[in-house]
Parts: sequence; structure tokens; C-alpha cells
Amino acid sequence: MRLSLEQLIPIPLKDKISEYNSRVWNQDIIINAGEKIFIQAPSGTGKTTLIHFLTRLRTDYEGKIHWSAYDMNTVKPEQLSQLRASYISTIYQDLRLFPKLTAWENLEVKRRLTNTVSEHDAEKWMDRLGIKHKMNSLASTMSYGEQQRLAIVRAMLQPFEWLLMDEPFSHLDHANTQKAIGLINEVVQLNNAGLILADLEDNDYFTYTRKLLL
Amino acid sequence: MKALKQKKLLRKLLLQHRSNNRLWVSLLALCVGTTLLLLAVMIWWNFAEVLSGKRDKDSLGSTFLTIGKNITKETMKVKGSSLFTPKEIEIMKGAPQVQSVGELTSNRFPVWAELNTSVSFQTQMFVEGVPDEFIDKKPDDWRWEAGSRQVPIIISSDFLNLYNYGFALSQNLPQLSPQTIQSLAFDLKIGDGLNTELYTAHIVGFSDRINSVLVPQSFIEYGNNKFAPVKLFAPSRLIVKVKDPSDKNFVDFLKTRDYTTNSEQLRWNKLRSVIDITASATGILAILLMGISTLVFILFIELTIAKAAASLSLLLQLGYSPRYLRMFMFRRFLPLVFIALSLAMGIAFIVQARAAEALKVQNLELATEPGWPVWTALGISAFILFAFVSGAIYKAMRVRS
Repeated sequence: MRLSLEQLIPIPLKDKISEYNSRVWNQDIIINAGEKIFIQAPSGTGKTTLIHFLTRLRTDYEGKIHWSAYDMNTVKPEQLSQLRASYISTIYQDLRLFPKLTAWENLEVKRRLTNTVSEHDAEKWMDRLGIKHKMNSLASTMSYGEQQRLAIVRAMLQPFEWLLMDEPFSHLDHANTQKAIGLINEVVQLNNAGLILADLEDNDYFTYTRKLLL
Repeated sequence: MKALKQKKLLRKLLLQHRSNNRLWVSLLALCVGTTLLLLAVMIWWNFAEVLSGKRDKDSLGSTFLTIGKNITKETMKVKGSSLFTPKEIEIMKGAPQVQSVGELTSNRFPVWAELNTSVSFQTQMFVEGVPDEFIDKKPDDWRWEAGSRQVPIIISSDFLNLYNYGFALSQNLPQLSPQTIQSLAFDLKIGDGLNTELYTAHIVGFSDRINSVLVPQSFIEYGNNKFAPVKLFAPSRLIVKVKDPSDKNFVDFLKTRDYTTNSEQLRWNKLRSVIDITASATGILAILLMGISTLVFILFIELTIAKAAASLSLLLQLGYSPRYLRMFMFRRFLPLVFIALSLAMGIAFIVQARAAEALKVQNLELATEPGWPVWTALGISAFILFAFVSGAIYKAMRVRS
């Protein structure tokens, strides 16, 4: 699945964008299947906004976004759900967990949608990121770092061609970040997928094919 | 860790904020409203069925009228003026509300009843014949064929009452039960002079509908053909089956032609008006109740969806399809409407069966199951309710997605 952006401009940032030299906003960009893209975005430049545009959580933009044949300006609700369930997996900055469900229930809501990952694997990945002991804890009672790891595992529980990540390791220490990177690399490879990671500071968490300044 | 069922998780996410009391009260009101509506239709339908007398055993009597011509000083002078001409019969068939017309043919030959017991008894009498379908309680042995020596007779119940409560008491004679009368046989002599025939007659039944002494029509025809001096057998009375005897047009028709009938048989007019008003009032009340309960039910659904808005939104972000979530809501709420309607229909079934049983004692036959108008009312209610509830779910979910 190829991503193409044509003259994409977030309406709220329209005036601000002209002040700096963005390699994403107001540009024509094509990102090919399987690429690993890092988007470096200083505060206030619209990093989360971009991720929300790509997943159509927000539509207040000018320009065009295409995920191969899917035009995000005109995509129908059923097609959008298909995209989100089977082609594009996302780790949001604000995690978006169900606070009143347990950690395991949060994973099951996602896993049961496509049933492509076994419960054994889900459990194993929780263990790998050190949150297995929190299985029966309500998401709202977990620390933010634990919730972030839970959101990472949840994003792995579906088939995808693209993994979108918005500051995915912001609350993890170095050891836990390395564990998470290991898991993500493995699952991305398994799915033969590409990834887009947006973060504040430059990093080499993955072997990026391109780095773009937002 | 045990795998969790998706629907269980969705229930937990989307249906956790329910105030069940409101739901059950609205469903109960919906059930009561639908029941009332079905009962109103049922009352109206049952009464119409009984009144139109479609069933063989119906003997409400109101739908069968015996019509005669008014005997006045003027008509008394003209022989045969009280008889109905073929043209008049045709006009009667086309009169408002008239479904069928039968002719009461009387004997045009002498008939003698003789009882040769310890007390010898002989009297001249009259008999009449009427098509079988107009007889309210037709006995199994109600037939006569040429050559048969046995003649069955049906007399009016009024005759028996007149005898038992009038004649027998005044003459110090024994009162007779219907069974006793039916066990008696007497001779029936027809014809005149030397040309007579002798038959054995039995009273086989009593009619509430026709005030006469009835013999099978074949017997009257045989006697009239063989013994009558003239071959004109115009009927003197007609028995008419009418759909609604209380109909004004029909009553006016009788008045303008100066026909007589038993006015008591028109008494159902008032009862019908009462039934119509009762059924309409119940129906309006039922529709109001259904409307209010549906509104409360829909508000409950909208509230449930509004309270689950955050979860719904997140489920959509995770990739759940709007159609799937909508179906989940449909499956949660529509069966409740179905249950309420089924309960109402179940009650309608019970009431109809009980009513049929209760009225059977009075020799009125009702269907044991609700008829098509009740099913139609249920169908229309179900369609409207499902449309409203589905529409509300669709609308509320579309706003969230």
C-alpha cells in the first residue's frame, strides 16, 4: 500500500507553515510500501495532527491523502473501518485505551476483531514487554509507561501494511524501549509492513529509509 | 488467559450505563399498549363476526329476520296480497345489507295432526318449509324423501313456552320438557277426502329463529304438488340474512315497503354502537400508550448510545465497522420489542380462546384463535415500531461515527 500526500496543509496551522521549511506540509510526497519513515517534529508543528489526518481522526486539512486507491477525503465509513482493522495499525500519543476494561480485555477487543493473532502470542508479547502481571488490572490503574506498552502490544494484534506511531516510547526507559523496538521490528517484518514514526527528537530506533522534518 | 467473547466485551463497553428500570417500564407499557390495541381490534372483529353470522352454529339471531307484509284493512280485502311476488323477492335480494333471501313456503293442502293414545286428539294445522341454510339448529335427521313415512318437524321454542307457561297451567295439563316432546310421535294426515296420506311425525328440534312449524322443504313441495288446488306457491314470509340489521338504509327499506319484522331483532343496533365506541376508545388509548412507551424506549436507546459515545468512537478508531456496531445495537434492542409484541399476541390468543369457550355455553361460536384483523394490527404495529426503533438507533449511531 502506497501513501501519497498532495499539498497537505492543516487548516489551523495554515499561516504558521509558511514561516518554516517543512518537508511534509504543502509538499507532494510519495511513500512506498515497506518504507520506514521517521518524521521529526518539533513541538507545535503538527505531528499528532498529521497522524490524525492519516487515520482520518481529523479532516480539517487542505490537499489530498491517498492510501493507494483509498482517497481519505472521500473514503466511506465501511472502507475506513476496513483500513483501520486490516491495513493501518496506529499507536496514538494519547494511547486511547478503554479505562474501564482490564489490560487483557483491552487487547481482546482488538484481537477479536480480526482473530489473526493467537491469544498465546498476545500473552507472550505482554510478557515480553513486562506487563503480563497487569493482565487483570484496569487500564486506568496502570502507570502511563505500562499503558504505553499495552498500547504497543494492542497495535500488534491485527494484520497491517503500515504501522503509524506517535511518540510511542515517550514514557519508557531505555530497557523497555529496546524491548518494544524488538517486538515492533519482529511483527513489522512478519507483516512485511512499513512504518511511520513521528517524534520530537532525532533517533535511530529503526533502520529508517527516510527522515523528514515536519 | 482465557479468550473473551467479542460480544461480551462490547456489552461491557456499550451497555454499561443502563438504567434498567426505565427500560422495563417502557417495555411493559409497550406490551400493555399493544395488548389493548389487539383486544380492541379483537372485540370489534368478534362482534362483527357474530353479527354477520358466518358460522353455521351462530344463533345470535340478529342477522336473520323474518319479513312479512303488513296486514291492513285494505290488504285484507285482496286475496293473496300478503304474498311475495318473484319481483319483490328479487328487489329484496338487492336491498341494502341483505346477503341472502329464503322463502317460507306454507302448505296449500290440508294437514291434520292426530294422536291416537288413551286420549284421542285431532287438530288441523299448518306447516312451512324453508331452505336448510336458514335453520339455526338443524338436527342430523332433518331430511325427507318421497316414500318415507317419517316426517321430522321443528317448532318454534316460543310455541313450547306458550304451552308450558300458558296453556298447560291454565288447563291443568302436564308441562313438557323438550326431551319429552321429542320422544312423542303423532300421525300426520295430509290431503282431503279419500285422497289422503298418513305419516308419522316427530318433533326433532326447536328454533329460536323462525316462529313456525317447519317440515323439510321437500315435504312441502311434494304435498303442494300433489294436493294443492292451485299451483301458485308464492311465499307469504321471507327469511332474510342481513349483514347489519341495524343499518339505517335497511330499516328505511322495510319501512317504505311496509314490511314487518320482529323489531326486537334490531336491538343489536344499540349494542353495536356501544361496542364500536368502546373498541374505538380502547384503540385510541392503546395507540397513545404505545406512542408514549415507544418514545420512552427510543429515548432510553439514545441515552444509552450517548453515554457510550466515547467507547463507540474508540471502537470505530480501532477498526470496528459502523454497520457491525449498529447491528450489535439492533440485536440488543429489537428482540425486546419482539418479546413485548409476542407477549401481547400471546395474551390475545389466550383471551380469544377463553372468550370462545365462554360464549360456546351460550351457543355462540367464536374462532378459537385471533383472526386476520388482529394479525394485521400486530403486523402494522410491529412494522411501525421496528421502523421507529431502527431509525432511532441508526440516527444515534451515525451521529457518533
